[in-house]
Amino acid sequence: MVLEATMICIDNSEWMRNGDYSPSRFQAQADAVNLICGAKTQSNPENTVGVLTMAGKGVRVLVTPTSDLGKILACMHGLEIGGEMNLAAGIQVAQLALKHRQNKKQQQRIIVFAGSPIKHDKKSLEMIGRKLKKNSVALDIVNFGEDDEGKMEKLEALLAAVNNNDTSHIVHVSAGPNALSDVLMSTPIFTGDGEGGSGFAAAAAAAAAAGGVSGFEFGVDPNLDPELALALRVSMEEERARQEAAAKKAAEEASKQEKGGEEQSSSQEATMTEHASGGTSEADNKKNDLSDDDNALLQQALAMSMDEPASSHDLQDMEMPDVAADDPELALALQLSVQDSTKDSSSQTDMSKLLADQSFVSSILASLPGVDPNDPSVKEVLASMQSQSESQQKQDEDKATEEEEK
Amino acid sequence: MACTHDHSCEDHDCSSSWSLFKHIDLSKVTALNEATPGSVKSVFKAWEERLSSSGEHLESNEGDPELLVYIPFTSDVKIKSISVVGGADGTSPSKMRVFINRDGIDFSDAQGMQPVQEWDLVENLQGVLEYQTRYSKFQSVASITLHFPESFGGDTTQIHYIGFKGEATQLKRDVVATIVYEITPNPSDHKTRAETGGGLSHVE
Repeated sequence: MVLEATMICIDNSEWMRNGDYSPSRFQAQADAVNLICGAKTQSNPENTVGVLTMAGKGVRVLVTPTSDLGKILACMHGLEIGGEMNLAAGIQVAQLALKHRQNKKQQQRIIVFAGSPIKHDKKSLEMIGRKLKKNSVALDIVNFGEDDEGKMEKLEALLAAVNNNDTSHIVHVSAGPNALSDVLMSTPIFTGDGEGGSGFAAAAAAAAAAGGVSGFEFGVDPNLDPELALALRVSMEEERARQEAAAKKAAEEASKQEKGGEEQSSSQEATMTEHASGGTSEADNKKNDLSDDDNALLQQALAMSMDEPASSHDLQDMEMPDVAADDPELALALQLSVQDSTKDSSSQTDMSKLLADQSFVSSILASLPGVDPNDPSVKEVLASMQSQSESQQKQDEDKATEEEEK
Repeated sequence: MACTHDHSCEDHDCSSSWSLFKHIDLSKVTALNEATPGSVKSVFKAWEERLSSSGEHLESNEGDPELLVYIPFTSDVKIKSISVVGGADGTSPSKMRVFINRDGIDFSDAQGMQPVQEWDLVENLQGVLEYQTRYSKFQSVASITLHFPESFGGDTTQIHYIGFKGEATQLKRDVVATIVYEITPNPSDHKTRAETGGGLSHVE
């Protein structure tokens, strides 16, 4: 979550009318700009983003660095295409705009969309790059659109002059079926040098895919409830770290253990994918859970911080779809390690996951090696499910059993 | 260890008067045009260790001897004199210009602005020279920015040690972060959280 002020330099020259990026080069650029602004402001609420155009009558600053996303989206409307891009002037004006940012503690970054041919020579670009490096301004270059001789060389030279410790990046996007913004999402430009990347990238993907669903992480509006959003994000990251450690351990076990129980684990996976209906991303999983009942996740987070073994089960259960997609053997091993370590808790968390789909429950209960059908808590849950209660009630039952177990 | 005053040093410990380095807020020290990010922190050490460079020193980028160092203090200090130990072979800085209580200065600002004081430095490899300040101007210093525009002919500028002599007060300078000026303020524009019902929980 680096505190950063970013200036985005848009190319609105005549070359942007071309339709080799869908729907047109300019539209693809505008979409990418919107996504970048969203990602930057979400990764740190104090980040500011500004926009300027490089072509047209001359370099024009549309909006000075601000954290107000609405202003940025509004200024992208009604932009006219024409003229020739002036890269050097654009970068220099961006540097000036950043110099006069309100919060001097922010790091300075310029993102340039270079879609048309570059008329400057390599020497002057290198001088500009050195000046940026001297004033510790980072530069990200998106090379798309026209590809004439020397353009890539010039941009690479510019990047080499600016780059200080890998804070600057260049991305080449060629025309094709993939949208410009999708390609950018996996690059360091979006993921911000590898920290907190998957969080907002996943949220942005979910927002793009789900349309009407609000793209907020965890289904909680950070504006309404910033403390909750922050607490959830922190616990998510802790989970991820623990899950990685557990996955490494399980990977070792995978080579040793290869018993049966496939039926149970595959049905588990099926339930997981069913449960996460909108998509397979973690963010969606979290959203579905939370939209049902915020308290359930909070309680789990609390349980995680208190009790190590129980927490690893929760983690592994939630991570099921991703793991299943990647490596069924690993998923199997995870399941087995979950079962082997603590029988009671595992049965209990299994219950919570399976409540969404009744038809699997009875078969699973029978096949679970660790569950004792005579266990009173299991019987209780069975009874409640057979009476066809709603999911809300099931969550309550689950909480009650959790309390009992504790 | 030679000092610039006339007496021998066995009577008192010179290092105590160079103790302002304890009041430097090291985490917020930054430098512009340094070759290795973060290397600027290594030049602030105790007086006795000023010559013992464990290899770490501040060096500017290849071919560009300009350096700008921003040093905030944890409380307001009064600076009596400054000592700078440069590098060998012409890589010592030849001039020093300082600015007080301004943050966010970059090279174009530094070149244009009038410094609070400036000195022509000499090569001070033993660290025995100190440059006196006009004390009246350095009475409540919350942060100081040192600008070294050129070196003695070397390709880069190296700095091994920067020391400050003076005293620290316990005060902290108040800085107003952002000010909004309104010619005709309108109370309805400034609803407090209590009036809008707060943001967290609603009791229905």
